[in-house]
Amino acid sequence: MFRLQGSKVLAVDMTGDAVKAKNGSMVAYDGQMAFKKLTGGGEGLRGMVTRRLTGEQMTVMEVRGQGTCWFADRASEINLVSLRGDRLCVESSNLLATDAGLRTGTTFTGLRGASQGNGLFTTTVEGHGQAAIMSDGPAVVLRVSPQYPLVVDPGAYIAHQGDVRQSFQSGVTFRTFFGEGGGEAFQIRFEGDGLVYVQPSERNTIAGDL
Amino acid sequence: MSAYGTPGGPVVHDPMTLPADDNVNAYTFCVELKAGQWFLQKGKMIAYYGAIEFNGIGHGRLDRLVRTSFHSPLHASDWVVAEGSGKMLLADRAFDVNSYDLDDGNLTIRAGNLLAFQPSLALKQSIVPGFLTLIGTGKFVAASNGPVVFMEPPLRVDPQALVGWADCPSPCHHYDHGYLTGVMGGLRAMTGLGGASGEEHQFEFVGAGTVLLQSSEALMAEQPTGAVPSAPGVPGGGGAAPGGHGPQASGAPRLPGQLGDLQRRFGL
Repeated sequence: MFRLQGSKVLAVDMTGDAVKAKNGSMVAYDGQMAFKKLTGGGEGLRGMVTRRLTGEQMTVMEVRGQGTCWFADRASEINLVSLRGDRLCVESSNLLATDAGLRTGTTFTGLRGASQGNGLFTTTVEGHGQAAIMSDGPAVVLRVSPQYPLVVDPGAYIAHQGDVRQSFQSGVTFRTFFGEGGGEAFQIRFEGDGLVYVQPSERNTIAGDL
Repeated sequence: MSAYGTPGGPVVHDPMTLPADDNVNAYTFCVELKAGQWFLQKGKMIAYYGAIEFNGIGHGRLDRLVRTSFHSPLHASDWVVAEGSGKMLLADRAFDVNSYDLDDGNLTIRAGNLLAFQPSLALKQSIVPGFLTLIGTGKFVAASNGPVVFMEPPLRVDPQALVGWADCPSPCHHYDHGYLTGVMGGLRAMTGLGGASGEEHQFEFVGAGTVLLQSSEALMAEQPTGAVPSAPGVPGGGGAAPGGHGPQASGAPRLPGQLGDLQRRFGL
């Protein structure tokens, strides 16, 4: 059972079950807890090799026990996501914790990842349960529906959920090369049906200065 | 209606529920464009619905708009014009953002704090270096480190906390130099030995108006406003004009044997 205590601390109540969390993100616990490092994100040998190859490394630990465990990471804002059989795509650096029952993996994102400077791959979380993602400043959750597609700045994107197609759109014109670009040279366009999480802050991206 | 986002979960926004020209939360501002235009600083747009185009100030079609509401040509490359219809979210490094309405007024703001403004306002470079002045009627969005506090002059403020001022109070420097005179005081001021409170230098405002302060002394990154043309009588203009009527000789070469500031402080 995930709940937020304030906006920057995640409390997980456990009764013998387990959660996967970012390595070293535990700040306190009561009761009995066992912490076990999961090599390769707990995705087996194949997952481990994939993560190595794709650069989506994440060091994950499994926490199992009775009681409450609190997680936090560098005072980032934490957002809870409920999954009901759908899929969440999130950058591995923004993923704090997931229910142990959720499957995690990696997927190819194409040019979007490249424009963010996060590599070409992203982490997926699938199944039934809860996940906690981190953002710089409280995330704004935006709905994508067939009649309302959404365009997001790559630096502010943190995650998306549901049946959403993403395409990369570039506003690079000859003006960009004279230093008179529109300032939003790379954008990701989301279409379909789902939710997109954006943070009120921009990471430094290659596109940031164009 | 999609199945995502459930009661009890986080608030999910769509184009219908997003506010028009108002804050979504303390850190995110939503601008509604109806075939209109907004000026914004590069890279502050985080997401938008609808059809919005972003063009650099130098874009030919925008010439007329730029001529009427953008008078800061030397940092034009930091600004873009958003044009179209839809809703657009603005944010800046997770700082607090707020919108302010000017009604036939004027407001001077630190260049790094200004995020976006309506073209009904005219943006001009302030005579005070590093500040921009907005004149006219309309809305603008500014970021601050912590919520903004409004104060009435006369008052003295810490330079790092100053965001801007409205309706022309007269800003000037103020130094508490009472205990910093004489030889020992001069040494103390220069070395910090013997105790400097760090608050000897303030900005002083007198006259009618409003002063905007942020509730933290962490400065926002400076945004270059561009150099002003060097002409006689223009403060901050580079290079002395021929005939000696240029800027004061603060950067003049020091003659050998001169002690500079120290010398002046000791009254030599």
